[in-house]
Amino acid sequence: MKRIYYKIAISFTVLIMLGACKKDYLNTYPTNGVAQASAFTTTSNALMALNGIHRSLYTQYSNQDEGGQSTIAIDLDCLGEDYVFTGLGSSWFKATSQWTSHRNVNSSLVYYVYRFYYKIIANANMIINNIDGATGTDDKKNIKGQALAYRAWAHFNLVQLFAKRYSAAGKPNTQMGVPIMLTNVTTGIGRSSVEDVYTQINADLDASIGLLGSVAKRSNRSQISVNVAQGIKARVALTQQDWANASKYAILARSGYVNETAPVLMTAADYQKGFNDYKNSEWMWGSHVQADQTQYFYSFFAYISENYGSSDIKGNPKAINSLLYNTISATDVRNKLWDPTATLYTPPASGSRMPYMNIKFLVPDITLSCGDFPLMRASEMYLIEAEAKAQSGDNAGAATALYTMAVVRDPSYVKSVKTGQALIDEILLQRRVELWGEGFRFLDLKRLNVALNRNGANHISTYAVIYDVAPGDVKWQFLIPQTEINANPAIAGQQNPLQ
Amino acid sequence: MRKSLLTLLLVLLAITNMAFAQERVVTGTVTQKSDGASIPGATISVKGTRTATVTNQNGKFSIKVSSPNAVLVVSFVGMVKTEITVGNQYTVDVAMVSEVTSLDEVIVVAYGTSKKSEFTGAAVSVGSKKLTLSPITNITKALDGIAPGVQVTSASGQPGSGPDIRIRGFGSVQYSGAPLIVVDNVPFSGTLANINPDDIESVTILKDAASTALYGNQAANGVVVVTTKKGNKDRSQIQVKIAQGLSTRAVQEYERVSRDNYYPLMWESYRNSMVNDPKIPLPANIAAQIASGVYPLTAGVQSYNGKTYNSIKQNLGMNPYNVADNAIVGIDGKLNPAAKFLYPNDLGWEKGLSRIGKRGDYGVSFSGGGPKSDYFVSMGYVNEKGFVIKSDYERVTGRININANPISWFKTGLNLSGTVTTSNVANDATSTGYANPFFFSRNIGPIYPIYRHNTNGDFLWDGNGNQQYDLGGARPVNPGRNIIAETEFNDNLFKRNAWTGKTYGEITITKDLKFTTNVSAEIGNYDASTLDNKIVGDGAPGGRASKTTTLSTTININQLINYNKAFGKHSIEAMAGHESYIYNYLYGFRTGQIADGNTELINFTTTSSLNSYTDNYRKEGYFGQVTYNYENRFYAKASFRHDGSSKFAAPVRWGNFGAVSAGWRLDQEPFIKSIKEIDGLKLRASYGTVGSDNELDYYAYQALYALGFNNAVEPGILQSSLGNLDIQWETNTNFDLGVDFALFKRVTGTFDYYNRQSKNLLFQVNLPLSSGVLIQNRNVGTMANSGFEFEANTQIIKKTDFKWNIDLNLSTVKNAFKKLPFVEQVNGTKKYMVGHSIYDYWLRESMGVDPADGSAIYRAANFIVASSKVIGKDTVTTDPNNARYHYAGSAIPDLYGSVSSNFSYKNFDLSIAFSFQLGGEIYDNNYAALMSPGTYGSALSIDMLNRWQKPGDITNVPRLDAGRVAQFGATSDRWLTSGTYFNFKTINLGYNLPLNVVKRLQMQNVRLYLSGDNLWLKSSRTGLNPTQAFTGVTSNAYVPARVVTVGINVTL
Repeated sequence: MKRIYYKIAISFTVLIMLGACKKDYLNTYPTNGVAQASAFTTTSNALMALNGIHRSLYTQYSNQDEGGQSTIAIDLDCLGEDYVFTGLGSSWFKATSQWTSHRNVNSSLVYYVYRFYYKIIANANMIINNIDGATGTDDKKNIKGQALAYRAWAHFNLVQLFAKRYSAAGKPNTQMGVPIMLTNVTTGIGRSSVEDVYTQINADLDASIGLLGSVAKRSNRSQISVNVAQGIKARVALTQQDWANASKYAILARSGYVNETAPVLMTAADYQKGFNDYKNSEWMWGSHVQADQTQYFYSFFAYISENYGSSDIKGNPKAINSLLYNTISATDVRNKLWDPTATLYTPPASGSRMPYMNIKFLVPDITLSCGDFPLMRASEMYLIEAEAKAQSGDNAGAATALYTMAVVRDPSYVKSVKTGQALIDEILLQRRVELWGEGFRFLDLKRLNVALNRNGANHISTYAVIYDVAPGDVKWQFLIPQTEINANPAIAGQQNPLQ
Repeated sequence: MRKSLLTLLLVLLAITNMAFAQERVVTGTVTQKSDGASIPGATISVKGTRTATVTNQNGKFSIKVSSPNAVLVVSFVGMVKTEITVGNQYTVDVAMVSEVTSLDEVIVVAYGTSKKSEFTGAAVSVGSKKLTLSPITNITKALDGIAPGVQVTSASGQPGSGPDIRIRGFGSVQYSGAPLIVVDNVPFSGTLANINPDDIESVTILKDAASTALYGNQAANGVVVVTTKKGNKDRSQIQVKIAQGLSTRAVQEYERVSRDNYYPLMWESYRNSMVNDPKIPLPANIAAQIASGVYPLTAGVQSYNGKTYNSIKQNLGMNPYNVADNAIVGIDGKLNPAAKFLYPNDLGWEKGLSRIGKRGDYGVSFSGGGPKSDYFVSMGYVNEKGFVIKSDYERVTGRININANPISWFKTGLNLSGTVTTSNVANDATSTGYANPFFFSRNIGPIYPIYRHNTNGDFLWDGNGNQQYDLGGARPVNPGRNIIAETEFNDNLFKRNAWTGKTYGEITITKDLKFTTNVSAEIGNYDASTLDNKIVGDGAPGGRASKTTTLSTTININQLINYNKAFGKHSIEAMAGHESYIYNYLYGFRTGQIADGNTELINFTTTSSLNSYTDNYRKEGYFGQVTYNYENRFYAKASFRHDGSSKFAAPVRWGNFGAVSAGWRLDQEPFIKSIKEIDGLKLRASYGTVGSDNELDYYAYQALYALGFNNAVEPGILQSSLGNLDIQWETNTNFDLGVDFALFKRVTGTFDYYNRQSKNLLFQVNLPLSSGVLIQNRNVGTMANSGFEFEANTQIIKKTDFKWNIDLNLSTVKNAFKKLPFVEQVNGTKKYMVGHSIYDYWLRESMGVDPADGSAIYRAANFIVASSKVIGKDTVTTDPNNARYHYAGSAIPDLYGSVSSNFSYKNFDLSIAFSFQLGGEIYDNNYAALMSPGTYGSALSIDMLNRWQKPGDITNVPRLDAGRVAQFGATSDRWLTSGTYFNFKTINLGYNLPLNVVKRLQMQNVRLYLSGDNLWLKSSRTGLNPTQAFTGVTSNAYVPARVVTVGINVTL
């Protein structure tokens, strides 16, 4: 009988040695993430959350044509008339350029664009709504000011794409805008009016400019400074046809520098270096993509550059509208950014040469798709100032602002003596040439309420398909993605017109 | 390695062999009890020794024994093993009973074994002989058709790969629904490819809650219990196996149009696109001229009304004929009769990627034992080269299973296994990726060459006298790519080492009370390495390489207390267990290759990505079970399990699950006993619940910010999940009603009805995109699976030297949502809605082709003047955005099953097996791509020859129109085809050398065989692989392999 007790004793010993679990045995934590609760306990953590937003502008999302803000820029140029497909290459962006993607509720484009900007808004809201309770020595004004600028910038992009254009003559703009997200809720909210969205955008920008005004020098140009916030404000005002503020903030944005050197328009030599370095003297805001944060085939440069060896570039080098190119003077440095004869530049191995293909964008290292992406340049500020002044009747001021920029591009440029619409047209033509490929054209067409017209240029009917879209057509509005409508009961019945 | 194994073996033999004196010879005859026929080839061994013999042609044997206490063990396939104590006899005659007429088969169940007659759950056990009928590398392949209720996809042809398995329908919506794998009593987290099929003694499929409840967490989708071999205490033997096979593709390629049809068809497509342009239609004659390239040029381009038009040659990029670019296709749409194809022998993309695959499979095992121990030691080596280049698999496996009983009250064992695998993997991860050989070769138009040619069509040679790959700069499809070159130059390989160590101790405290502890460690290293070459493809021009290293460590400890009291055969068991899982991940990616031929990261200049992390996953469970048996007539069992998982928040972390079951042996009741025809009859029923945290993120309840969002060098984090403190166990409620029967001394079978409800489904609920986070894990919804299962094994002829069996199994599955968090949710080609199944198609309703203009038409949702019209009573539309969607059938078959048959005549045996499925629909994506009405450069299905061409044509293929690819080719029920198929799965013809020959060679058995796998498939379309995925949607994946093997198995 005693043996039984020994055996029980052995069994229990084993049981206790192997079997005793600590109470926290089932508490495990990830090593590739941090708890949300600890993200805003200190300002240094909150600063990391802000840097995450900067990074989200150039990270990979679901599909290969979803590489952050830069691929949206490609989409917006594809919807215009100045960005020409020369072949098929791959079929990336083909449906966008044929005006079908943004009009399909199930397309990855509308899903991506919508989700991308609201993700930025949600992350900005986390900062805006939690930073005040954080402890630490980092500048809370800097962190909160940048988050407010991002929230405004993202709402601004959304309302331009998903709503009817803002019309200064049509105040208040009661047409449906987009949901204004100021706190993060999962139950969904409905669309506010375009007027209300712009009111919120301006409120956020004013708050941002107020906070960032006292911030010491930013760490680099991927961060939003007070001048960048002013530049966004200038864009917003231009879109609202608020010419006085557009001009005022454009000037402030390029010249009102306290803690850092004001931007200087780049030289002709710098202009031909491939648009891939945010240290360029006139870049005000840009994403810096370093080699170990590369986006592979998601990268902007994997579609638009002249020299990276992606299938899309090999089969479909991107060209400028030949009619637009032919307006560029031979002495203009921008004349050299495109090759009308398809003989000047060497494409990647087994790639095609096509007339009017661009070398504006180049990767610095042909084995890597990475390059920096410009989010705001000083020349745009001159163009905004010129356009706003011309629109408000200040022909002389407009011509001077335009001249300041244009003469750096073309030493032979003569200051314009045009007035009224003719001057406005000249400014807009300069704008098309200067900002080619940087994602402005669709928004400009919509803002200006003019038709899409691809006729008479080097577009090939097989790829272009759509040649004309009249101003005011329902197709100028992106459709709200079906996923949003399915999950957000408040937005049901608020879809944009389908036909 | 082999030397050390032999040393080990010798040591073991020394322990187990004992010399005895007093030898004498016993003789006898082995017969079959039912008809008295003698049984040749039966094995007679002396228990606890190596002494063994087999009966001769007349069933007679003689054997030396050394003591009157010696016990003879007589065994023969299909017969119940019989033991006889020799005593003083010199002649021992043995009458054996056929196994099939009894329900007394012993099956492996959760943490133990059970007699089938006493088992109250639904489970199927399959022995090694049936599992290894066709030579396989991955045991999961053997599960196709092996038991009712088990549904299996067709295995990819990638060497070493295995199919997906579902047991009794589909238990999860967004997660895999794969069953739990248990190997030798321990949940197994690795891949079954790491286990040598020759080491496996049996596989048991546990289907209902009564069978699976003891595995609690993870067992919601059924359990596959794998038991490895152990030595026989009464027989020691050495087995050697050598098999050699050849493989080819088992499913033929889709039929596509030939090269000389291609240019005219694409011309027609282009011409039609201009004539039918909705905005700017061109006159037919102008369009024909433009398409042919003969329209007058303005400034070097064909310009009409201010718009620039390509010729068909410009659209297709290449002119493979010996005529001018604008003279390939005439304005009549016909190929120029003078055009001669320049390189007809250089179009074999598929051939260039294929080869005759080879498979070598070699194994040796030693097994045996003595009174106090048994052992099984094996080594295996498989070298498989797939039928696609750069796809192969090499695996070395070793296993040592030892059990010892050194003290009467203590039992222990050690189970060690190691697997070393190296494999090149065909790049089919992305269905439409440029680097996917199946996508590329299937869809490239039949005019594009592999190699470069000059204008005469002659090959261009490089400086070394080699042909130069055409890199496709001129091609509109896959520009700048060449799949043959890329496959040849790139590497996509992995090395995997898996080590499993397991030990247990069992203490018998009293006769009734037992304490057992199992400790196991599973360690897996996975090392993947890719090289994208710098000449062509994704890596060009710099070259790039990546390395992924993962280490997973699973520790599993369980303690079982087992009380089995003899009074009235009541038994009580109680157990407890822990599991933990740690996963380390490291990934590095660099670009810019320095020297050729070196794929180590140090040979690359720029780091493009580098990161690592560790995951921890832990589970804990306590469980108990009580079984009750009344006079071997009534059986009842109740089990309970208390489970915790680290995936849930502390307050809701623990779940309680349990099952009850009962069985009634009707055959033991007098009123049945009197019916001669019934040999066995049992009714059983079970009901229970099991929990699941399957495949949920490891930290599912936590709201997290993700690391890895640094902004250049500034540290950054981004919101990644909202978390949900309320999520808890998904619960599967299982009801099963079954009958087991044995009739006419020939037929045994089982019939089951099951109803399985998955409640609190773990669902990734879509959030409004405007919330900034895409999904949140929530417990919502209920899904039901129910169905019938039938299995029958019939011995048609059971003479001693001629046997013929037929096994049949049939299953049905009905799947339906009972509760959902939304009214409906469209998910790809499916729509989730209460009352519909997870795999019900929700598609546009195709209405065929408008005979007037050849447009693809769909049933219209609304009448819209521009795009709708009324044909007969139907309102149809050409605009897919206005098409009406409808439920268009289901991917789930009405019935699936298998038939197998075994014949044996004298020394020959033949086994064949078929699997089949009736009903169910396949959405054939691959076919839809080939039916695209004019994607320049893409291959076209042969069915394109039936396209609409002129008004009045009645056909189901719309006109070719490159401008309407999206409209005509839209996702619709036009791409559904019947999932019914019939597959001649395996054949195995064997010959056992005559006993006298074998004996002369001093061997126990020599078997030669010829086997074939995947020999013939009949489905609704050539090229279609109907069982590629449970979703029913086809993709460009590695086609299953047909393997023909010759082999020899020798038992010493």
